[in-house]
Amino acid sequence: MARANPALVGGGVQPHLSFTSLVRRFPDGVRALDDVSFDVPNGEFCVVLGRSGSGKTTLLRSVNGLTDLDGGTIRMGETEMSRATLRAIRRRVAMVHQSFDLVERASVAANVLSGAVAEAPAWRVHLGWYPDHLRARACAVLHRVGLDEIHLPRRAAALSGGQQQRVGIARALLLDPEVILADEPVASLDPAISREILTLLRDVARERGATVLCSLHQTDLAREFGDRIVGMRHGRVMFDGPPARFDAAAEAALYENTPAVVSPKAPVARERSYA
Amino acid sequence: MRDPRLETSPAAPVTPPEHWHLPAPYDWRAALAVLLIGLALIWSAQRVEIDKMLRLTGEAALAQVGLQEESQVGRGLGRMFGALFPFAIEDRQEVARLPGLDRDALPRFTRIETIETTRYEMNQTTLQAEPVVERKEYLVHPFGYLLKVGDKMVETFEIAIWATIIAVLLSIPLAILGARNYTPHPALYTASRSLVSFLRSMPELIIAMFLVLGYGFGSIAGYLALGLHGAGFLGKFYAEDIESADRKPQEALTALGAGKLRVLRAAVLPQVAPAYVAYTLYILDRNVRMAAVIGLVGAGGIGQELKGRYDLFEYGHVGTILLVIFLTVFVLDQISARVRARLIG
Repeated sequence: MARANPALVGGGVQPHLSFTSLVRRFPDGVRALDDVSFDVPNGEFCVVLGRSGSGKTTLLRSVNGLTDLDGGTIRMGETEMSRATLRAIRRRVAMVHQSFDLVERASVAANVLSGAVAEAPAWRVHLGWYPDHLRARACAVLHRVGLDEIHLPRRAAALSGGQQQRVGIARALLLDPEVILADEPVASLDPAISREILTLLRDVARERGATVLCSLHQTDLAREFGDRIVGMRHGRVMFDGPPARFDAAAEAALYENTPAVVSPKAPVARERSYA
Repeated sequence: MRDPRLETSPAAPVTPPEHWHLPAPYDWRAALAVLLIGLALIWSAQRVEIDKMLRLTGEAALAQVGLQEESQVGRGLGRMFGALFPFAIEDRQEVARLPGLDRDALPRFTRIETIETTRYEMNQTTLQAEPVVERKEYLVHPFGYLLKVGDKMVETFEIAIWATIIAVLLSIPLAILGARNYTPHPALYTASRSLVSFLRSMPELIIAMFLVLGYGFGSIAGYLALGLHGAGFLGKFYAEDIESADRKPQEALTALGAGKLRVLRAAVLPQVAPAYVAYTLYILDRNVRMAAVIGLVGAGGIGQELKGRYDLFEYGHVGTILLVIFLTVFVLDQISARVRARLIG
């Protein structure tokens, strides 16, 4: 397993996210995460690369506690993730989702403001009347992600896929998170739009100095956008290094051979239909 | 690109299509079930006198087109319908019973009518029946009864509105406790679901009868009864919609650190709002109709008036009441259809 030298990649040396021996077992015995350890320095755009079922999503979801771990520790800065710190960590981490996960019937404005749902006073949340500084921020981030005033009252479902993901990013940016988890943010978008969205994500993260952990399955996008690539397969880290070192051999190690050949008991049909 | 067929099921042997097994649209179990249900219905039909119903209806239809002299159903219903018309619109009161009436300043729209009736009375001395002319003066309001029914209808509508408000307020907490994915504890889930079933299983007429004993005649018993029954209905449907709402936005907000109530408000409510509006409008519509019925047991509203007039054989008044109820329900239906279309569209 290649261990990255933090000094070689990204801007900072201070580890922002630190994973130590993460293990996640599914009830059927499959290990979604199998002894995963690596550090992500502050402000890095770290791409987690791998095919479907490699454990990328599980890794990302364990950072904000959407998936429970069976072992290992996650540290965010000085804070170790636990039940007690989960709420606090979630407020510092934002997530951008594969299928956008917007409230489709709600307006664009309401969707972006819902990014502050944990922070605004309860009565304001329940009346849907967010404080002025958040409303102003919502407009600012929507403008930053390339949407306009005319989009504010539209229902999220009425927007195109690329626009919906822009709203998703705006929602994630609303509270200025330190860490942005992007779970296959462009998997349901076409290649041109995918580049636009990833460019946007990289730029807004840089402007804010946020650390990004972005899972992807497209090697070309990973090479283009990642400061660093962490390649995963069967829940293990198979590659860790800058895109320049991600050569054909490394790619082959991630993608070659069907799972059927490696482990005949793996759920072949599901794996393949996504491939 | 690989062969898509192989990609989904690499191990399955390829069978030629002439050997494929196309399942039948239904099997013998379905046929047997239909047969059993049919037998049960035949057995039940003679218990509820379906044959008699058909015979009497047939006779009535024949009588209508003149192929038969008359029929039992036609006679009964005909007498009733005959008595409903003309609808009673005016209101008349005996002047003798209105001691404070100022004849020079009658209330608006009213007039005084004098009606002479001739009565035969036995003269005690001659032992002959002699005609006696009696004069009675009436204060007539030409559409007084319509106004009264309208007033009662407004009261009925108020009962329905308050019943709906009570039902919504009760069912929101019941729905949150009774939604599997939001209940704080499984015991509360069971308790909430049981309470909701219980409320729904109690007919509002029965609840109203009991509440009239406690709260006395009038609208309190009416709106409480309808509200409790409505909560049994809404609590169930609200909860089921919360359970089946799209999980992804809820998870997205949970990931931002939001608690359950906030997720409900920001991610679930927008999704379920159109369905909730539809259910609530249905309950309002139902409450208007039922508010007219529960008046029969003294729980206020137009039903009480209806029951009184029916018992006094004043079918003209009954006709007016039925007409007003129909018009109200019809108008409400139109309005709610528009509200729903606007909110769902």
